[in-house]
Amino acid sequence: MTFDDSTSPASRAGQDGQLQREFVERWRQNGYNCFSSGHKFCREVCPVTQVTRNENHTPTAFHANIIAMDKDLLDIEDVADDYVHCTQCGACEIRCPNTLFVGDFYQARTETVKVVRAARALMVDKGLDRDGWKLWNRLTNDLKNEPVLGTGDGQPNGQDHVRDWAEGLQIPIGGETIMFVDCEAAFYRTSNTRATAQVLQQAGVEFGLMNEQWCCGGPAAEMGYVEQSRAFAEHNLADWRASGVKRVIAIEPHDYIHFTEDYPAYFGMDFDIEVVQIIELVAELIKNGQLKLERPINKTVTYHDPCRLNKRKGIHEAPRFILNSIPGLIFKDVDHVTQWSYCSGGGGGLPIEKPEITEAISDVRVARAKELDVDMLVSACVWSERPLATAGHKAGIEVADIIELVAESAGIEVGGRRGASDLEAAR
Amino acid sequence: MTTAPVMTVDAAIVAELEAIMNEPGSVLTGVSSRANRARVPAPFPLHRWAEHMPAVVVLPRTAEQVSEIIKLANRVKIPVVPRAGGTGLNDGAVPLRGGIMVDVKRMNQIHEVDLADRTVTVGPGINMLKLNEELKKYGVFYPDTPASYPCSLVGGRIACSGWSLLGSRFGHTRDLVVSFEIVLPTGEIIRVGDGGGKKVRKSSTGYHLKHLFMGHQGTLGIVTEATLELVPRPEAEFAAFFAFDDFGNAHRTVYGIVTSGIATLAGTVLFDEKKIEYLRRDDEAFIPMPPWVNSIVATALYGTKPEVREASKLLMDLGRKEGGRYTGDEMAVGDWASRHDRYANPLHGRLKDGTVAPMSWHCEDASLNWTVIPKVREEWTAIADRYIDKFGIFDNWGIYCYTNAAYKPWGDYLAEIDIGIWEEKLDDESWAGWVDFKSEIAKVSLKYGGSITACHGSTRAGDAELVSEEMGGGWDVMLKIKRTLDPNNIMNPGKQMLDQAYES
Repeated sequence: MTFDDSTSPASRAGQDGQLQREFVERWRQNGYNCFSSGHKFCREVCPVTQVTRNENHTPTAFHANIIAMDKDLLDIEDVADDYVHCTQCGACEIRCPNTLFVGDFYQARTETVKVVRAARALMVDKGLDRDGWKLWNRLTNDLKNEPVLGTGDGQPNGQDHVRDWAEGLQIPIGGETIMFVDCEAAFYRTSNTRATAQVLQQAGVEFGLMNEQWCCGGPAAEMGYVEQSRAFAEHNLADWRASGVKRVIAIEPHDYIHFTEDYPAYFGMDFDIEVVQIIELVAELIKNGQLKLERPINKTVTYHDPCRLNKRKGIHEAPRFILNSIPGLIFKDVDHVTQWSYCSGGGGGLPIEKPEITEAISDVRVARAKELDVDMLVSACVWSERPLATAGHKAGIEVADIIELVAESAGIEVGGRRGASDLEAAR
Repeated sequence: MTTAPVMTVDAAIVAELEAIMNEPGSVLTGVSSRANRARVPAPFPLHRWAEHMPAVVVLPRTAEQVSEIIKLANRVKIPVVPRAGGTGLNDGAVPLRGGIMVDVKRMNQIHEVDLADRTVTVGPGINMLKLNEELKKYGVFYPDTPASYPCSLVGGRIACSGWSLLGSRFGHTRDLVVSFEIVLPTGEIIRVGDGGGKKVRKSSTGYHLKHLFMGHQGTLGIVTEATLELVPRPEAEFAAFFAFDDFGNAHRTVYGIVTSGIATLAGTVLFDEKKIEYLRRDDEAFIPMPPWVNSIVATALYGTKPEVREASKLLMDLGRKEGGRYTGDEMAVGDWASRHDRYANPLHGRLKDGTVAPMSWHCEDASLNWTVIPKVREEWTAIADRYIDKFGIFDNWGIYCYTNAAYKPWGDYLAEIDIGIWEEKLDDESWAGWVDFKSEIAKVSLKYGGSITACHGSTRAGDAELVSEEMGGGWDVMLKIKRTLDPNNIMNPGKQMLDQAYES
């Protein structure tokens, strides 16, 4: 038996070694702030750790690995698969006592998501990126959109089909405000996208679509393909500028993260686009009377706090306001702090590489909803809706997007596909 | 006989383990799996990390698998180290001689909730907060609440014989675990309680084996299932903090409260001057208090509404009797609610010149009687000052004294001095200095008739050498038990000087 550490890290030097040293240098203080704490309060809220119960996949390991690299105990090769085990939900960051109590004071908030993304970028630089991600991002680069309908040939993915979802809705191209359509929303769960556009139309919000809409670049950034992510961001920003866009409505939380965190990091002060989150916008439209929800929906529902809204952006009041505004709806809430430990498993590229873990995470989430004795689990993140609806199909519970419910209550006929939720509806 | 270190295992052993486990990904030989299970939050000789890695990690799901693994290890004489949360402040889950690490995190099922006879039976890999999330719907809870409540696991709680912040009201781990299943060092699976009976709390049959194995630190086997107490969720909680300008008054106030006969008193916590100075280092983390405050007494009541309402009036009088000032509702509610999060933060570490350095927390957790606390506090502080001066990588984070007896708040206290250690800078000399530091602290506890550890265990260097002194004639009995149950010294070898059992 030979171990995979039989080659001493010190012997794997050269150019590759330099990249790893730079990574360690950049992140070692972050790593040590976690390592020296050792509280591990992050573990039982981590959606991956909750299902794999493997200490390699914990936020503490992701930080300790940096220290271990610094001490020449291991190399990025040894932990490459471990760093795949993260949905970048951010639960560990907000549950960390460093963040909760003193992180701001010392400017040392725990930043696991950044650490994981940097480790994945190092993997890409060293050719250690996983096969599934490699294919996914190559196809994204070719198609300019993610291959959400499948990585095999002949799928209606890509630029030729990027506006298929909008058939018959007569949405103009360009304008000061555009609705940015996420890849999953454009190709897979098109009911969500149509509902969003129709709700905005009904409320009298003027908006257009992008001239040439590429992927936002966020998934590439999450999987470590930094240059590709940046190239997509540059294209999109140039496209917006060319058609005079001043405001982008992000209809999906992952895009919202990317536009509000990565784009400003790429472009600095030059990034002068206002980014509007759809859930907050719709809540506002309801509040100010522009959108009237009058058709009752006689269902009992609970709400899934999408990680990127709740844990990473602190958006949890607006969706609850919306659900409480729908007549007939019985809303059984689970508070947003309890939901720090909830996730669909759909983020961070996890379902591409480790679909079985995504499935397990979604099964757990749906089981928690099922305990509440509800008809439906409502989410506000299209990426969560595929794994949740698949789990829901098994468990006999419907999964819908909050804007789809808003559309229904506003009396809108939506159309479009609901992906795995259609299976459940057909039961 | 000292069991030889096993830092690598050969392919045949891995194949046998894989055959036992029969599940992909449950036998881990990669360096990341081993490096990430080499330490716990307690200070760690970072410069000697590699010496503490296991040779192989297994992630069992059943007692039968654990039994087969141990039988294999016993046959070929490979050390076995169990690991639950790996959140201990002792080094029970840290391998000293490599070997097979049995990581029980996947044994986290709730097997049975018995509301009639008031027990819940679980695997050792479940966390108490997670368990209580599940129990909430039944109106009951499992009140084992250490500082690591959100992350430690039931198996580790048993292995360390843990202490609970609410122990004076609801009992500690040894009181709350009714019975448990343990795999012996020779592979037999047995169940131990007070006597027999999985759900029986009190028995006079035979020797009380539950108490023998409680606090085993992995040296006598691996716990694979536990039957735990279910307690009604308290209807009311009342917390109050009182501030003092004099430690003696605060110390006497504790006495007044714990001897008052308030049955709903879950515990008291006494903070000394250094502790308050530490907490003041960042006013985000602690409710600001006037400069005259140099000690705090924190208290909490749990019970039915009528009980707590009446007792709270008495408590408020007692807290103020010796000059204590109530610190207000914000601290009472907020600080008590977040008590597990805010008391040991690495970023509060300070070098002598005030520079911030991220430090690991070490909690030296003696059991001491009330009368000796002021004297011990003085001596501990003087020792800390000396080592801080000499090595420059330690920091005094102050003293807490918590009520320590089960179901009664008087008598003895978990007295801890919290020391920050800048692990990053450790080398052989400063590590040896740390061990001496720790040992001096522990000797003071013994000098004053205390015990060197209330809840973490005594396996660490600096403590381990003193166990025989504390145990007296009992140490020889311990050695006989160890040798009888673990003839080949495979269970967590090297811990607590138990190698002496094989010297003859």
